[in-house]
Amino acid sequence: MSAGTPPLSGPPKPQAKALNCPKCGAAIVLRSFGQAETVVCASCHSILDAKDPNLAILQQFEAATNVSKPLIPLGTRGKLRGTDYEVIGFQRRSTRVDGITYYWHEYVLFNPYKGIRYLSEYNGHWNDISICKTLPTADGGEANYLGETYKHFQSAEANTDFVLGEFPWQVRVGEKAAVTDYVHPPRVLSSEKLDKEVTWSIGEYMYGREIWDSFKLPGDPPEAMGVYENQPSPLTTNIRQIWIAFAAFAICLLIVMAGFDMLAKKESVFNQTYTYDRREAKGELSFVTDVFDLAGRTSSVEIKTYSPVSNHWIYLNYALINQDTGQAWDFGREVSYYSGYDSDGSWSEGKQNDSVVIPSVPPGHYYLRVEPEVDPSLPLIPYTIEVRRDVPVFGIYGIAFLALLLPVVVLSWRSYTFERSRWSESDHPPMDFSNISTSSGDDE
Amino acid sequence: MFRKFYLLYGLLTLGTAAFGQYRGWSLDTINQLKNVPKSVRDNPGSYRSVYSGYHHYTGGK
Repeated sequence: MSAGTPPLSGPPKPQAKALNCPKCGAAIVLRSFGQAETVVCASCHSILDAKDPNLAILQQFEAATNVSKPLIPLGTRGKLRGTDYEVIGFQRRSTRVDGITYYWHEYVLFNPYKGIRYLSEYNGHWNDISICKTLPTADGGEANYLGETYKHFQSAEANTDFVLGEFPWQVRVGEKAAVTDYVHPPRVLSSEKLDKEVTWSIGEYMYGREIWDSFKLPGDPPEAMGVYENQPSPLTTNIRQIWIAFAAFAICLLIVMAGFDMLAKKESVFNQTYTYDRREAKGELSFVTDVFDLAGRTSSVEIKTYSPVSNHWIYLNYALINQDTGQAWDFGREVSYYSGYDSDGSWSEGKQNDSVVIPSVPPGHYYLRVEPEVDPSLPLIPYTIEVRRDVPVFGIYGIAFLALLLPVVVLSWRSYTFERSRWSESDHPPMDFSNISTSSGDDE
Repeated sequence: MFRKFYLLYGLLTLGTAAFGQYRGWSLDTINQLKNVPKSVRDNPGSYRSVYSGYHHYTGGK
């Protein structure tokens, strides 16, 4: 509770003025200590002049078909953002767009020390509204209030359909006002033009649960439907900052990649050319290479195979075997290259060389067991085997890059779709992407 | 909240990439075996690769 603002708890204060409706005789209770301009009889719905000691009838309206029950009953008291308020008025308003009528509700709240403020509700979305203290400036698509820029959201004609309770202005059913909304989530700046009078108000989005807790209302608030014009994005992160963080990580990744590439030994520890000769290939085809030493720490080993095949293939069954421990890495590699001409022109596929990287090979003495299989139409084919120690694997950086990118893309997409839903209800549908800001607010 | 998570996540990703590179991780699938008999060195035919008998591509376009 703010300093110097006594609570409004307990039964209605005796200051509330009790009068009777001049139309139907029902009791009229004035709760706003003389701040109301009009009061509506809850029984016959006559709009009465609250400033007149005799409550002169200003308007009568047929409410039978337009009765709207307030979600927060008149007279309900609660603590809204630290200040006690009592609900003294309620109105239902509507606007018609493209043949569809949209309804929303407004509640008048009163505190004898703080004065009047309002709550609005549309499809489960709530706003805490107060009259602007200074005059905003509006220029076409934007408005400025207290140094904050608001984007034009929509302009419409608001019709007053139903009223109940007290109002600090001369309310009338059927009254039409030109309403223009500018948004800067979670705030909305609204101008309401009635005749020649323009009233500016500032609203801040509230969740139904906050309203229910503030007024200690029974049950659950109505579920919010869709995305409201000033509803804050559930993504509390500033997307731009995340993209900057991603760029920084990507640069770090490049530095790590360059560093490891420079430090990698890429040492050739074995290089030998063999020839497969079908005429001599009788019996067992497999053979083993000389022993070579893989020094240093546990790291990668690359086996490179080259064979000048053309429209043929050669397949090599490999086993890299640790002579001391019997540990082996078993794999097969094919080298094939095909090319030719057809109606589409020249074509080729495959390569004459192949490379495979064996992961995390401990240091030790190793040899290769090689078992060649060759295209039966090839009588003779040479092939070269090279073994290199400690080679960089750039695919790891590719995966890391994608891993860094993925959450940023997902977050950006979610933010984009949320803003798209918001602006789809505006006068500026989402095809105009300049309306959609990916920066959805400050982090926490 | 997400910013903190992303900073930690990014550092973890960078660290994992650097560690993987240092330890010689690879994207290739290699079948690892243990206790291959020492006789293979003298008699290569006593060992048979799991990849032998591979059905080779013999076409081209």
